[in-house]
Amino acid sequence: MKEVKLNTPLKEEDVRDLKVGDVVYISGYICTSRDMGHLKMKEVIENGEKLPVDLTGGVIFHAGPVVKKKDSGFELRVIGPTTSIRMEPHSDFIGNLGVKMIVGKGGMDEGTSKALQKYGMTYLQAPPGCAVVLGEKVEQIENVFWMELGVPEALWVLKVKEFGPLVVGMDSTGNSIYRDIKVNGKKLIEKMF
Amino acid sequence: MDWTREKLYEEIYNLIVDTCLTISPDAKDLLQQSLKKETNETAKSMLQTMLDDVDMAKKLNKPVCQSPGFGTVYVSFSDTALLKDIKEIYSQAIIEATKNGFLRPSMVHPLTRKNPGDNSGIGVPNFEFIYTLGQEYVEHILSFKGCGAELANAMKIMTTAQLGKNYEGFKKFVIETALAGGGKPCPPYAIGVGIGGQMDIACKLARQAVSIRDWRDSNPDPLMKELEIELRDKINSLKIGAAGIGGDTSCLAVKIEIVSTHTAILPIGISFHCWPARRGGIRIYPDGRKERLFLGGH
Repeated sequence: MKEVKLNTPLKEEDVRDLKVGDVVYISGYICTSRDMGHLKMKEVIENGEKLPVDLTGGVIFHAGPVVKKKDSGFELRVIGPTTSIRMEPHSDFIGNLGVKMIVGKGGMDEGTSKALQKYGMTYLQAPPGCAVVLGEKVEQIENVFWMELGVPEALWVLKVKEFGPLVVGMDSTGNSIYRDIKVNGKKLIEKMF
Repeated sequence: MDWTREKLYEEIYNLIVDTCLTISPDAKDLLQQSLKKETNETAKSMLQTMLDDVDMAKKLNKPVCQSPGFGTVYVSFSDTALLKDIKEIYSQAIIEATKNGFLRPSMVHPLTRKNPGDNSGIGVPNFEFIYTLGQEYVEHILSFKGCGAELANAMKIMTTAQLGKNYEGFKKFVIETALAGGGKPCPPYAIGVGIGGQMDIACKLARQAVSIRDWRDSNPDPLMKELEIELRDKINSLKIGAAGIGGDTSCLAVKIEIVSTHTAILPIGISFHCWPARRGGIRIYPDGRKERLFLGGH
């Protein structure tokens, strides 16, 4: 297990180098996206249009912030991870866009594990519920798109500094802490009864 | 001093804001105990980050977690005079707290997914009214429970045959649900289990158990007490851990509530409560006094 500080845009070799259990801090830009945001991205691409941000070497953060409206835009109050499994159907799509890291909570499934291997991505576990700690790592809201989807579902582009601690839960070689816990847990339950 | 609507509104607004800003003292105490016992380094760092988050939320006057879930208010009362237009008051106060940056506007139409942007909406927040004959005060307990936790919830109508010897079928259902939930419900969590009644009753009991009980209390029913401890320990032995990436504690408490049921069925509802236990309460007395509950989590 190692501790790594990375800057965006991420390089594939740096991401492929990460193994489950490694702790990562990200500096640069990250984009939030959740259920509706992913569907919107698909719609834009299917219509042959361009996304409002270039996600090559990018980070998708499964999250929606608490913001306060100011005269000139929004003030970010707090932000923490949402449950990633809901975005399971979109992993291959995300990989194809050039995204190199997915940050969320609770882990993802086998479709994502395949996409991580195929595209050289990792899945990072953020400390769940720790919206103040993580929000303090956001230096500013760089931009926001698709506000018609509502505050949680909009695409927020955030400038972050040493955003973390994030733990590699699934790596690009097919390892998954979440899968290991489930497989082991099933055996333990069989022994219980 | 009488309770005017303005005064009640102010108390309820403050209750909503204070409830978002911290976690209840029982949850904080159990998190601290878990950190002391934890042997997994990653889990230790996650637990420490959670406790840091609670401290920073207080210092910075910010909500402890971004997700307020679907709020429920448990109201116990005898005399209705102190209720006033309680539903309207909560609805307005939630909209104001949202505008002021304490709650994220998370409420959407269930089918169109349209977000009005201020947490207004049909049935928001949810109310459970508990008629308690002779109770001099009105008690409100407000619970904001993250909805990631809902993704791990389960409901099953079991049968007598499935219950098995030593309630093993029931125990296995709860433990398998926890394993399937993994890190989704923001471990270390508490689990509410409702047993009996019919589908609706078991599910409501499950949420109520984990929303209004002290997570450190001891069930007065000896069988339920034994089951609560056994289930908690067995779930922890799965090593799901804080954040769901391994560790000694994923379950801070199991809380079981029961009612009788029909001889043909065994309804079981399971409701997870994420570690950010945003719970607050207030007792309103007819003479103008008030008493806050679930304080001290700072």
